[in-house]
Amino acid sequence: MTFITSFISQTMVYATVYTLTSLGIILGGRTGIFNISAEGILLASASTGFVTAYLTGNWLIGFIAGALIGAAFGFILAFTHETFKVNQFILGIILVIFGSGLSDLLYKIIVGVRLSAPQAPHVPTVTIPFLSKIPVISGILNQDVIVYFMYFAVIISYWFYYKTKIGLETKAIGENPKAADVVGVNVKRRRYLATIIGSALIGVAGAYLPIAITGTYSPDISAGRGFMAIGIAIFASWKPQRAILGGFLFAGIEVIAFQLELISANIPYQFFLMLPFVSVLIIMMIFKKQIEFPASVGKPYSRE
Amino acid sequence: MKKKNIIQKDLGTKLLRSLSVYGLALLIAFGLISIIIALLGFSVPEALKTLVTTSFKSAFGFQETIKKTIPLIFTTYAFTIPFMIKFFNIGAWGQMLFGGTAVAAVGLLIGNFGLPSFIMIPLLVVVGISAGGLWGWFAGFLKAKYDINPIISTIMLNFVAVLFVNFIATSPTFKDPLEGHPITRPLPSSATLGFFHGIPYSIIFAILAIIFVYILLKKTKLGYEITSVGYNLHSSQTYGINFQKTIMLTFLLGGALAGLGGALEVMNIHGKLIEGFAKTSGAQYGVFGILTSLVVAGSPTGVPIAAFFMAVLLVGADALQRTMQIPVEMVFLSQALIVLLIVIIRKKFEPNGGK
Repeated sequence: MTFITSFISQTMVYATVYTLTSLGIILGGRTGIFNISAEGILLASASTGFVTAYLTGNWLIGFIAGALIGAAFGFILAFTHETFKVNQFILGIILVIFGSGLSDLLYKIIVGVRLSAPQAPHVPTVTIPFLSKIPVISGILNQDVIVYFMYFAVIISYWFYYKTKIGLETKAIGENPKAADVVGVNVKRRRYLATIIGSALIGVAGAYLPIAITGTYSPDISAGRGFMAIGIAIFASWKPQRAILGGFLFAGIEVIAFQLELISANIPYQFFLMLPFVSVLIIMMIFKKQIEFPASVGKPYSRE
Repeated sequence: MKKKNIIQKDLGTKLLRSLSVYGLALLIAFGLISIIIALLGFSVPEALKTLVTTSFKSAFGFQETIKKTIPLIFTTYAFTIPFMIKFFNIGAWGQMLFGGTAVAAVGLLIGNFGLPSFIMIPLLVVVGISAGGLWGWFAGFLKAKYDINPIISTIMLNFVAVLFVNFIATSPTFKDPLEGHPITRPLPSSATLGFFHGIPYSIIFAILAIIFVYILLKKTKLGYEITSVGYNLHSSQTYGINFQKTIMLTFLLGGALAGLGGALEVMNIHGKLIEGFAKTSGAQYGVFGILTSLVVAGSPTGVPIAAFFMAVLLVGADALQRTMQIPVEMVFLSQALIVLLIVIIRKKFEPNGGK
């Protein structure tokens, strides 16, 4: 029983990273800006978030710093793409490289080499009255604030895309920016906003990695999760309700791979650790037919 | 006569334009770097001097530069060739690792047979090329048959390759029992290449690769197909060029070159497989290859020169860390910044060129 609860709660923790990141990617992608730079944002916000949380002793300020760094990356992406019409993928790749350099540099300059790795302040756990006292359920429900923030973000995103006028317009921009422009939607401004807010969400996920999961910062902490989240966004056909499914799926695979690695003696552990990466490819192969893309992804918008 | 003049004039303005692109980008970038260095409390003139001149001040500096140039040429080609048809091979890292690992494993397995160098070395080179090529081709295959974005597939394959290196370097069959870090036993001397006055012999393979790529792209039907798909996908398909095949071929070629780069690192620089061998100055050769390729706008002819200049900066970055304690990431970050500026400025000057 404890195995199952620990499996579920661990999965939830990793699913938070995957889901928040892919929600951020989806928001930009829905307006036509494909945020390939997610991995770079995760790294940069992990280091910024950790350093700020560590220095201030306040977890919340750490997450805000992570979100702000994410927003800054989003702004650079939207600005260079919309103003200079540079290919989004090239920009994204450069930003990934930029983010990975920035993360280690920041940590080296501000924290430096210590004998014992500095610890981040603790993120408070949500306890729901009555339910939290029941043995098995409490293991599942007693999660930190950011896990609940992730659920909230999924619900808000769903409501936004399907029930609000702005959300429908956002989807319209992704499909046909010219038509959206004709009916009076400010395409450029929406693209900026969506990319910046989306990247801020990715920034929260990035700060979550060192502050809540590992407690310390280490180089290359995101370990490819930014790119796997792109896989999730594509697999989800840019729908938030499917992104959380994908998030849990990949998180589950990751946690299982960890567990199997510990149990198995005959198969070298490296092959279990390959599982998450291989399953991204397998899942995308299986769901090839169901995958849809917003039509204007990758193209800068101009009125002529 | 008149026609020739127009062409010359065109070439002149083109040259002037690209010179001004690089000049302007470098000026802004060095300005920014100077500001950051000054903010961090280091001496700006000294840092800039170290960054640019270390490669040319001593024989050691120059040898180091060549050692870094060789793998960079391979990883830059690995990105450039698929980029010619507008696909992104982020997997040079993994392809290099896979090539190097295969070479180490095969080299150690057949090492006891006592094969002479003239069999061993060509054999291992072929193994490296095939392993890297296979790893690259697979990403192309996933794009052609399953429409999986190569950015994602190549990254996933990178991580698999990293774990594969760890598997080989820690397995009892190959691991050096005296080492704590995952490192294999040294390759037999018949499988390693030497140095000529500090310059690795792998430079011969790099020169051969440059000639090969040039001939392939400029003089063969296949090269023509790649170029025409890059210029205009639609019309190239009308003329019967198989797009799916071209995708797989460009990734195969890119991966094979990166694999050769990895093989040569193992056979020449290290003489064994060391975990994390495809890294230099704080990041992977694959990443620097991407940056180098973007500097020359994915044009294959500019690759060797650009790789050399990138290597000069990397040697300078190492020296900065050694002598002034400026973290290597600082230079790495600035390089990403410079490339971003070059890409933007180029777009501004030549709106239709530069991809």
